[in-house]
Amino acid sequence: MITLNSSMTIQASICGVLPSLREKHDEFMLRELVKRWSNHKVMVRWLSRFFYYLDRYFIARRSLPSLNEVGLTCFRDLIDVEREGGQIDRALLKNVLDIYVEIGMGQMDHYEKDFEAHMLDDTAAYYSRKASSWILEDSCPEYISEPKLLEKVQNELLLVYENQLLEKENSGCRALLKDDKNIIFASWIWLGGRSVPDVQAYSKVTKGLEPIGNIFKQHITDEGTALVQQAEDAAISKADNAGGSHEQVFVRKVIELHDKFMTYVTDCFNSHTIFHKALKEAFEVFLNKGVAGSSSAELLATFCDNILKKGGSEKLSDEAIEDSLEKVVKLLAYVSDKDLFAEFYRKKLSRRLLFDKSANDDHERSILTKLKQQCGGQFTSKMEGMVTDLTLARENQTNFEEYLGQNPDANPGLDLTVTVLTTGFWPSYKSSDLNLPAEMVRCVEVFKQFYQTKTKHRKLTWVYSLGSCNINGKFGQKTIELVVGTYQAAALMLFNTSDRLSYSEMATQLNLADEDLVRVLQSLSCAKYKILLKEPSSRIVSPTDYFSFNSSFTDRMRRIRIPLPPMDERKKVVEDVDKDRRYAIDASIVRIMKSRKVLGYQQLITECVEQLSRMFKPDFKAIKKRIEDLITRDYIERDKENPQLFRYLA
Amino acid sequence: MGVEIGKQNEDEKVAQQALKAGDWHLEGALDIYYSQPQIKTLTDARYLEELYNRYRDPNLDTINADGITNLCNDLQVDHEDIVMLVMSWHMKAATMCEYSKQEFIGGLQALGQVRVDSLEKLRERIPYLRSELKDEQKFRDIYIFAFGWAKEKGQKSLALDTAIGMWQLLFAEKQWPLIDHWCQFLQDRHNKAISRDTWAQLLEFVRTVDPQLSNYDAEGAWPYLIDEFVEYLYENGIFQRG
Repeated sequence: MITLNSSMTIQASICGVLPSLREKHDEFMLRELVKRWSNHKVMVRWLSRFFYYLDRYFIARRSLPSLNEVGLTCFRDLIDVEREGGQIDRALLKNVLDIYVEIGMGQMDHYEKDFEAHMLDDTAAYYSRKASSWILEDSCPEYISEPKLLEKVQNELLLVYENQLLEKENSGCRALLKDDKNIIFASWIWLGGRSVPDVQAYSKVTKGLEPIGNIFKQHITDEGTALVQQAEDAAISKADNAGGSHEQVFVRKVIELHDKFMTYVTDCFNSHTIFHKALKEAFEVFLNKGVAGSSSAELLATFCDNILKKGGSEKLSDEAIEDSLEKVVKLLAYVSDKDLFAEFYRKKLSRRLLFDKSANDDHERSILTKLKQQCGGQFTSKMEGMVTDLTLARENQTNFEEYLGQNPDANPGLDLTVTVLTTGFWPSYKSSDLNLPAEMVRCVEVFKQFYQTKTKHRKLTWVYSLGSCNINGKFGQKTIELVVGTYQAAALMLFNTSDRLSYSEMATQLNLADEDLVRVLQSLSCAKYKILLKEPSSRIVSPTDYFSFNSSFTDRMRRIRIPLPPMDERKKVVEDVDKDRRYAIDASIVRIMKSRKVLGYQQLITECVEQLSRMFKPDFKAIKKRIEDLITRDYIERDKENPQLFRYLA
Repeated sequence: MGVEIGKQNEDEKVAQQALKAGDWHLEGALDIYYSQPQIKTLTDARYLEELYNRYRDPNLDTINADGITNLCNDLQVDHEDIVMLVMSWHMKAATMCEYSKQEFIGGLQALGQVRVDSLEKLRERIPYLRSELKDEQKFRDIYIFAFGWAKEKGQKSLALDTAIGMWQLLFAEKQWPLIDHWCQFLQDRHNKAISRDTWAQLLEFVRTVDPQLSNYDAEGAWPYLIDEFVEYLYENGIFQRG
């Protein structure tokens, strides 16, 4: 009976709470609530030992839901008042919050579920609303001059709710960032931070910038990584049809992304270092990931090539080309494998220059200037040398033609163009000892004689694999001019004296390695234009095949180009770069040790990475290997007592 | 062939010298014989030379593999016994399976307080040689010596098979629990010769890093191969990353 009575009392008292709460409004309602709640607590304290179950039952079943709602509504209104700059009783808010905590019996889930979640949603909604109305009503500078706003921003964002706002999903700042209203968001933060007069508050706010910088960085990294993923997917789905355009699209998108966020950094964050750093670090993260097996270094080099070569995939105005080049060079700053870029770039540059594929000399020089400014003279010296070589080669050709004019006896009877290149500037090419047709041998001799009149101490190495020939094919129906490589021409010329040759006969007569000869014969007998007939006829050249001249070949064109299938150069480029890196690390270690004589391992690694970071980011394992190699070669030794110490051996 | 026999067979000239110096009294002569170092050295050298000649290659002025096998048989030790490494260390032998005359005689002369000029004496010294491996500093010296001794002449590094053989020999002594994993790792992953630095640093590793790797520092200056080995141990689940 006691139980029933007491429960009635409690029920009555709680039922009494609700009407009395309903009578009050806003702040007064909350005051009443707090008062009632403490009354209730006193009561409960007395009764709970008997009515623990009922107490929980009734609060949970009857009073709490409605109490919750009413309390929350008033509470939210109150917060909005505060946001608008009104004065409120923070102690009251604190008491109300405590109620939520207490209702949860010391657990935080009631607080989190009933209050915080609503509060955060509400905050997010409030600022989203505000942001859209502000962006309509005012311009950025007006915020600057709005001290009330600054104060509010500082209070709300940076001091009072900093952690909730920054770290919670759907928090105010996240919502703004996702809505792409970053400009406003950023302005607040930055302006709030900068305009606080007294130092103490400023330091609080500056610390506040760091987490915002981190969110900014994370946001960019996420977007960038999404681009990488897109490109990966595109690469996989396009794997069958060898379209390389997804790479082009990728670089374009990365440039756009960079433009977008750079604008935020400069316009909204007033180029504050924290945000520059955030931008840089974010780009470094996803730009060094590589896309579908290609590194970003390669993609950027390919992108440049597509812009700079004749008939590339990009059709752009001069200004647009300049602009794109400028931006690619900027992106390169985030790529750690700059040496790899240089190597790919040089490969592609050499193709543009040697095969007359470069669209515009000015653009070629312009990007080199940009690269030089950003990466230093050493980075571009070889590339510049290549471009200069080609200018010199043109002059040289004019001289050669003059020479032939003056010495008619020497004239080989063929038009011969020779491009003399400087070893070292250019990528290394395999020079094989191809047996040239007699006509070409005479050309080579004539040029050698001419060249000796100009200079005595230079040795010419002929790289036939890069040569091209225009030869006339006298086919049954008509004569067609064939534009082929020197290897292909030499192979075709064999059929001036023989009707039918075996693979091995050709290999002997040409003195070509299998790998080259197969490519040559493939292009002449298995591809689009079948200048040679292969026995047996199939798509693959094998060493047992026979070949004969296809006199019935014809084509509607008078002049056709027969390309050689390209070789996959990527592997070689990567190998070359690896080799160069070994030398670079060796040189760096020796340089450091020579000046320091004795140095600890960690310091050596640090200095080495530092020295090389302009070109690439050496792996500490790679450095370790080089250190061990240098020990073996007696450049340095490990200290006998302390294995962490190295000594330079003079 | 003990010292007494040696004394009986000793060169007449030396004996006469001693007797003469002792006024032809045998007692005095013996005193003089034992107190005069140059005479002793002379006789030692003669016996050592005799010992040397017994094992030397008939065509070359060195003791080669056959000679060493015979020596081992006479000493009743296996020619792959680690004690032969210790002996070679004393002889400062330049290379495995070969002692030059100078190395052999010099080494035996240097072999301690008791004169070793006979096989018996040498055999008696073997337990002592074995005990030297227990001495931390000496073991280290022997270990370092072993690299140069075991490698092919003119090579900078040690062939992997030889290195593994030497390690098994040396670390059986040290009872390094990871030796089998190490050798397995080398065969699986490395398959190349071992540099002097790696050789030397492995002993450091064995000495300073506990077998649970708890104090191994991945950022340290350990040779590349040792870092790889630690990786291998974790990868193959031999250790769990803590």
